[in-house]
Amino acid sequence: MTALLSLWRNSFVRRVLEAVLTLVGVSVLTFAVLRVLPGDQITASYGIEAGALSPDQLASLRAYYGIDKPLVAQYFSWLGGVLTGNLGVATQSQQDVLDMTLRALPITLQLAVLSILVALALGVPGGLLAASRAGALRDNGSQLVSLLALSVPTFLVATALSSWLANRFGYNPNGEEFATLLRDPALNLQQMALPALTLGVSIAAPVFQTTRASVLAIRDEDYIRTARAKGVPPRRLQGRHVLRNALIPVVTISGLQFGFLLGGAVVIEQIFSIPGIGRQVLLGMTQKEYAVVQSTVLVIAVLFVLVNLLTDVVYRLVDPQARAQ
Amino acid sequence: MSATTTAAGVPARAPRGGALRAALLRPAGVVGLLLGLVVLVLAVMGTFGLTPYDPAKQDVTQSLVGPSGQHWFGTDQFGRDVFSRVCSGLANSLRIAVVSVGISGVLGILIGVLAGYYGGWVDRVVGVLTNVLFAFPSLLLALALAATLDRSWVTVSIAIATVYLPIFARVARAPVLRLRHVDYVTASTAIGRPRLSTLFAHVVPNMWGILLVQVTLSLSWSILTEAALSFLGFGTPPPAASLGGMVYDAQTISAVAPWMLAFPGLAIVVFVVGLNLLGDALRSTLDPRSGGRR
Amino acid sequence: MVRRMPAGPARAVVSTAVVGALALAGCSGGSGSGGSGSGGGEGNDRLVFGITADPTQTIPWLSTSTQSIQVLSQVYSTLLNSGDDLETVAGLSDLPEVSEDGKTYTFTLKDGVKFANGSALDSTDVKYTFDTIMNPETKATSASYFASVASVEAPDPKTVVVKLKSPDASFTTALANVNTSIVPSDVPVESLTTTPVGSGPYVWDTRTPNQSITLKVNPDYYQGRPGYQSLQFRILGDEKAMVSALQSGAVDMAVFDNPVTAKTATSGKVKVTPVDQLSYHVLQLRADAPALKDVNVRLAIQCAIDRKQVLDTAALGAGEVTGPITSPAYRSNPDARPCPTRDVAKAKDYLAKAGKSGGVSINLITSQGLYSTAVNEAQNIQAQLKEAGIDVKLETLDSDGYVQRWLKGDFDSAIALNGGSTDPNTMYARYFTSKGSFNKVAGYRSAELDKLFADGIATRDENARKGIYTQVSKELEDNAVWVWTYTGKLFVATSTGTSGFKARTGADLGTLWKAAPAK
Repeated sequence: MTALLSLWRNSFVRRVLEAVLTLVGVSVLTFAVLRVLPGDQITASYGIEAGALSPDQLASLRAYYGIDKPLVAQYFSWLGGVLTGNLGVATQSQQDVLDMTLRALPITLQLAVLSILVALALGVPGGLLAASRAGALRDNGSQLVSLLALSVPTFLVATALSSWLANRFGYNPNGEEFATLLRDPALNLQQMALPALTLGVSIAAPVFQTTRASVLAIRDEDYIRTARAKGVPPRRLQGRHVLRNALIPVVTISGLQFGFLLGGAVVIEQIFSIPGIGRQVLLGMTQKEYAVVQSTVLVIAVLFVLVNLLTDVVYRLVDPQARAQ
Repeated sequence: MSATTTAAGVPARAPRGGALRAALLRPAGVVGLLLGLVVLVLAVMGTFGLTPYDPAKQDVTQSLVGPSGQHWFGTDQFGRDVFSRVCSGLANSLRIAVVSVGISGVLGILIGVLAGYYGGWVDRVVGVLTNVLFAFPSLLLALALAATLDRSWVTVSIAIATVYLPIFARVARAPVLRLRHVDYVTASTAIGRPRLSTLFAHVVPNMWGILLVQVTLSLSWSILTEAALSFLGFGTPPPAASLGGMVYDAQTISAVAPWMLAFPGLAIVVFVVGLNLLGDALRSTLDPRSGGRR
Repeated sequence: MVRRMPAGPARAVVSTAVVGALALAGCSGGSGSGGSGSGGGEGNDRLVFGITADPTQTIPWLSTSTQSIQVLSQVYSTLLNSGDDLETVAGLSDLPEVSEDGKTYTFTLKDGVKFANGSALDSTDVKYTFDTIMNPETKATSASYFASVASVEAPDPKTVVVKLKSPDASFTTALANVNTSIVPSDVPVESLTTTPVGSGPYVWDTRTPNQSITLKVNPDYYQGRPGYQSLQFRILGDEKAMVSALQSGAVDMAVFDNPVTAKTATSGKVKVTPVDQLSYHVLQLRADAPALKDVNVRLAIQCAIDRKQVLDTAALGAGEVTGPITSPAYRSNPDARPCPTRDVAKAKDYLAKAGKSGGVSINLITSQGLYSTAVNEAQNIQAQLKEAGIDVKLETLDSDGYVQRWLKGDFDSAIALNGGSTDPNTMYARYFTSKGSFNKVAGYRSAELDKLFADGIATRDENARKGIYTQVSKELEDNAVWVWTYTGKLFVATSTGTSGFKARTGADLGTLWKAAPAK
């Protein structure tokens, strides 16, 4: 009994338990949402021709798709499959969901990483520029630019840009078959360019703001003033002390964005025909491929939770103050 | 889009009306307020039907007319006046923004505050629930909800609210965790005041500044989310006008009638910029260290 | 006081590192084959055809979506084909010999046709295909075409004999439909789902889900050697993306239904050909609904709608006003109805006759996901009907939600784009005969219509049939069973690097095999 209690008190174990509970919650939510959506696999594949089917035929189709069983049974049968590595099958194309996901996930991850890089490339120098002389024109100017980046629906600008490039210069890499990074890096990067730019711009504003804010905050810190008083040259001060510490919250913000990028990339993936996870789930929803949606969303959630868990653990190990809590 | 919070902690006693007034006196705040007023005026016109034309009235003899003295923003293929539809669309978008942020704000803050204040298993349960919502791809959640329920501005609002609820919960929880140990709060419970009462009497009023910032941010995001939902075909259904819906409808036809895309798009930008400026001004006022003049 | 940083450095570093590692590790996962070659039309000997959705069915008798039909039409062949004017012509078989009593059809198959797996295509395969379609266990969507078939026999490898229960003049029309394509009898159906095996101009090669389907040439195609070495159907979800791909040469061909998109696609390198459609846009009224039971109310609706206005606002005028029957040989006169043009006064009169001078209220279902103009048509109709005192409650549903309500007949009126056919019986028997599978949805039946439809297929005399179907059309319009609005146009966009393809009504891909790189 005491062993169990001490296990419970161990915060790591508690965290893992919470992570598992979160995943269960996600799976139930996905399952429920799908079942509540109007229509099912029969209407999705037959359309109005489903009306020509007799009740017997409908019953046999329901059995085939596994939707005749009670909901709870369906849930556990799917969950059981997932826990043994069988993520299910897309009924129309007979594709294995695990295969589809393993193909699509790295693409979205690549898009997310590139977008964060774009955001950093735009936001950090911008924030530094703004903070270098707070209140001056460069500050207000760059704040305005950042504001516009946040306010304009970027996907619209991206579509317009893409159309214009195709029309004017006949340049349209996204019209070609999608190429993965290792297969054809040149084409891949061209295909990712506009999407990553679009997503990157839309998340560059928080990066900009955070950089600016933390640089301004750090500059006033005691240890910086001490260093300045001690005669440390300004350039070294900027680089070693200010910059390094200022960038910490920036990196944190970028990490937070990642989770949102996974979900928010759906629109961009759809517009630019990027065969990523978001598009897979979206198409799964329209085609009423329950297994595809349930398993893919679960995979995304697992990733999300795993990353959170891992960083929590390392954070506690590294930061003594956190350990004391 | 991130759950940006202020970079600093919560001041011991935040000035009340002072913060708002100070914010509005900044140049950014002024511009934000002006833009907000413009939007508000147009939206009010839209709500009470004070527009030059009935937004739903079709007049095919005036189909696809460019901006002119008679139709300031031109007409669409049904001959409907785009200016009137933009007003109506602003009213609709504003309504969705307010309702969705209202629902997610009130519920989220309540949940977050309770979780932070009581701690223990309440906090854990809330933590798991908000994580579930975070881990679920946000736009898809909104899509699913919008597709399930009868499409109307109410369901679109609920769909958007569900996405932002965990953000409010998280934002509200953090300062509560710190405030729990502040002198006047512990003193209050020490003298026997029930915890819940302390909560609402002392803790919440000191947080409202941060919450206000989050509210303005969320209002602007909700407009953009509605636009994204419409873009995927799940926004407010016609014939009601919504900015996102107008942009979605205008995509192809904008090749022959660019005004159908430009003006609703511009309205979205102006609205969101105004809200963000206001939010920025508020944030600078409440926490001088997060930026602004020195 | 030491101010704590918002978050530790390690947390953020680990977070990004984990993400980065995963991304890199996964990048090695290759996608399906197909290569990263440039688009066709560059002397690459590959034709790239753009489609907006992934084909959901790969079995002919289950295919309902346009994209499935487009892809399968290149992999499979049908017993009979459609000519350039959509007349039924020889396909895998010559035109059949029909017995005097019209109940026995004898088909003679062509020599030397093979499936992609090398096996010869003979009468066993035809019998197998038709028997499978007719088997209720199969749940085939093309089963209704064989409703009058009693048996299918294969007396010798080159001959197929189909015996009908009663004469059915519409029977052969369906044999040119892709969903009656002939499949090999020696391949199990499960295998056909993942790897179709047919006798069409191209052979199934690979599929990357939601991205592309690649076919390679069948050099022994019975009609002649196809012009390209390979044919790829590329999925671009967005029409704008499709236009861009056409303009950059990534895609060689695509079909649009939106005139403005077609216009933006036209350029020096892209040619756009408009063609008619047999599908018709209609405001379906459900006469069984309480609000629409009275024929006068329905006539009021008919008179209150200017069909040209619907066409102009929803489809920018690309198309023409139509009556019920769109089959070229039996086409309805669009003006043969009580109100050939809009007459609001007359509409109000009809309402008064129905005792509803105070106005009527009905609901109208539509969906954004149905087809591009569905919602716009509904909006215009709503506005027009308002002026006659008819209040329309517009319900815009999710496409599956729409399908469900439509199938249940849970609506007063519905906007629809229904498929047409070269034979009026195929078009409407299932809606307007009392035993028809969609009669509940159509909401109307009458003894006259039952008799007319029965007579229509009993004879094969063209002139007699024309007379009968003119009557059918009259019945439908005089009783304002539905309000037919217009037939639209399709726009076939082809790159100038391709030649030989003939776009025809309905934009079917029957002659795609003739396309070849332009000299």
